[in-house]
Parts: sequence; C-alpha cells; structure tokens
Amino acid sequence: MLPYEIGIVETRNVIKTILDTYGYDFGDYALTSFKRRLENIIITNGLKDAEGLIARLENNKGFFDTFLKDVNPETTEMFRDPPLWRDLRDDILPEIVRSSGKPKIWIGAIDSGEELYSLCIILKEIDMLDKVSIFSSYLSEETVKKIKSCKIDPRQHEANDANYQRCSGIKRYADYFSSGMGNGASTINAELIENVTFVKQDAIFSNPPGSIRLALFRNQTIYFNQILQDQVLNRIQEVILPGGYLVLGIKESLENTIANNKFTVKNNAEKIYRKKAG
Amino acid sequence: MYKAVIIGGSAGSFQIIIRILSSLPANFPLPLLLCLHRLKHVRSGFVEALSIKSTIPIIEPDDKEQIKPGRAYLAPANYHMFIELGNRIALSTEESVNHSRPSIDLSFITAAQVYREKLVGIILSGANKDGAYGLKKVNDFGGVTIVQDPNECQVKTMTESALKMTKVHHVFSPAEIVRFLQKINK
Repeated sequence: MLPYEIGIVETRNVIKTILDTYGYDFGDYALTSFKRRLENIIITNGLKDAEGLIARLENNKGFFDTFLKDVNPETTEMFRDPPLWRDLRDDILPEIVRSSGKPKIWIGAIDSGEELYSLCIILKEIDMLDKVSIFSSYLSEETVKKIKSCKIDPRQHEANDANYQRCSGIKRYADYFSSGMGNGASTINAELIENVTFVKQDAIFSNPPGSIRLALFRNQTIYFNQILQDQVLNRIQEVILPGGYLVLGIKESLENTIANNKFTVKNNAEKIYRKKAG
Repeated sequence: MYKAVIIGGSAGSFQIIIRILSSLPANFPLPLLLCLHRLKHVRSGFVEALSIKSTIPIIEPDDKEQIKPGRAYLAPANYHMFIELGNRIALSTEESVNHSRPSIDLSFITAAQVYREKLVGIILSGANKDGAYGLKKVNDFGGVTIVQDPNECQVKTMTESALKMTKVHHVFSPAEIVRFLQKINK
C-alpha cells in the first residue's frame, strides 16, 4: 500500500503545472483516482513528494510522456465483459460491415492495448478484420510503442483465457500468440493490428476521429468528473454517424448527460447505445 | 453523529452480512458501504442474494452515483469502489490491490478521507489481509473501528491482520455488531 499521500491543494498545483507547461488539462479528472495516480507516479519514479513531481515535470520534457503513460490506469484484461464481445461478434460488427463500405471503428481506450487486441481477434474470427478501418487513440508515445510491441504480461493470461472462453471464441486463446506462452512476455500476432491507425489524443478528447460507426469507450469516463464526462461524451456523440454505436463500461451511462437524447439504448446490460438517425 | 458505515468482508462473511442487512431498521439513518470480495466475472446475482432478507435497498452503484442514507452500496464485480468528495461513488478499473478488485483497502481509505471522524469501519471474516491498512486509515482520521471477533470468524486472517495493524475501538461478536448498528445515531 502507498506510504505517501498527496493533498488536494498539491494535486491542484500539479494540475496547474501541467496546464501551464504542456497545455494538457486534467482539471476535471475525478479527484480520488487522479490523486492516487499521482501518488503512484511519485513513488514509482522515486520522487519525494508533489513538489518533486512538479520540478520533474517543469525541468524534464521527456518525463511528461512517461507521466501520460502512467496517469490513466491500464485496462488489465482482454475480453473484459465477455457478453459484450459476443454481442459485437454476433450482431453489431456483422451489421455495420453489411450496411456500410468500410466502417470506421474507434477505440477510445488511451491506456493500453487490451481493447484493441480483443477487437482485432473477434474481427479475425468472423473474417472481417480487413473489412473495417480501426482507429485507436493514445495519450503517450510510450503507450503506443507498447501496444505495437504486442507484448502481453504472462500474469494476465489466466484471466484473458478465461474471458476468451466465456466469449465462446472459435479457436484457442493461445492460437493468437506468435511466441510460446512461457514465463517471458508473450507476443500477440502482430498482423492482427498491422492496419490500425493510431491517433494522438489530449487529456480531454478534444479531437476524436470523425465518421465513426462504432466507438468503444469503456471505463474511460469513470476517471472524469461529471462536467468532463458530459463534455467528452458530447464530443464523441458528434463524431458518431447516425445509426452508429457507442459502447460504454457496464457501470457508465449516458443517463443525465446532454448526449443522451441523441441515442437509443440497444443493450442496457452491456451499455450499447445507438445513435438516432438525423 | 456518524455519516456513513463501511463494511469489508471476504471468505466467511456472507452469513453475517445477511444477518446485519436483515436486522437494520428500515429507516437506517446512514449509507452502508459494502466492499466484499467476489468473483470478478460473475456480475449478477450477488445483489439479489443479499436483497432477499435485507430491510434496506441494496444498490450496485453506477459511476458517480450520489450516496444516500438508508441504502447499501455494494462494490460492483471487477471494479474498485472509491468514495469521492461530494458524497458520490467513483469506480476504477486500476490494477488489483491485495489480489483484489474491489479492494477493501481502497474503499476504506477513500471513505476515511471523505467522512473522517464521522465514519464507522467494520472488518469481518476473510482470508487475506485486504482491509487492514484501510481500517488503520479510518482510525487515523478519527473514525470508529470495529473488527469481528476472530474466534467467531470462519476465516481469521483478515480480522487478525486488521487487529495487528490497528488498536481498534471494538472487537465484537456478530450479535454485538448488529446491536451497535441498530443503535447508531440514536
């Protein structure tokens, strides 16, 4: 457990330093989890306290990318919420491929590659990987390098494999790895993601890619306060095409947001929303 | 006057949680925050099982849900449950703590930061040390700390770890925990 705790005033000071130095605005991130991330960053980088973090941020531009990598928690599982992936595979993905030329799918998870790998595997299984274009967002260059390396921490295999089986995948989880699944990091087949376009985001998703048929934005808004949730979901709403889909985490919701009236609920358990026509 | 009660439990805590929930007055004056270890991939069924005999509504909250008195909030499967300033729930998918997501430590620490001396923290039967540090934080912020008597726990590890880390206010039998909660804020 963390031996160091940062106060609210210090947290505000870090946020101001980042805004002044780099123009990234974390002011409307959810305070409790953001504070915890700062504490983690301070400890893992051997910084003494918030002042040490502020000094490092001001004096070392290269460090800011590492900060961006660590400021959002990673998604730690592939195929999290297996019923959703079944639904995507059996229903939503075939539909969007049928109804439009080469539909654009956007992965809004800026923290790690698990959502992307899961999507590509599902698409591969229904033979549609080359029939869609995938855009994946990232905050930190280090994160995108890690995603492209296709390395999976071996400690994650058990959970990933169990989830994959609950999706009733048609192959075996292990079939998607180019190397063995020994003790070292195992590597997912790189060709699964070779056609993915990576798009840089800022902290508040000022610029998501346009003309989206399916947006996967699961467990990202939980790190925002309600003001930022509202703003970001509305920006995403604007780039989703009529009839397109938005997927949130199962404990997130469009209810009480301004984007809500633009969507109908397609599947409430998996938080799949469909944008109304016109 | 207290503002909230938080309970952490794991292996062997189900029966006593049911006993607590079935014994509270229907107008229980506080929110009851429940962080119980549970299977990550089983999303449904737990609330229903706890609700059968409960006198107060049990909610598996959405992110940023407002916390209200007279309701129990159960940490959802595969999420950490934080208490956010403004008396709201905040969820997180960050890495497991003590091999647990939800982690009792994280719920207790964040609740202690928000409710400070107006929080009652209770640790029940369980098989790992999750919750021990969290209960210490409740104590550090001036809240009331209660641990189920290890001799009455199906699995003692969690309560013994909590007792090792903190000089708690009360070591209670299940019946005494129930009586304490029935009289709270009266």
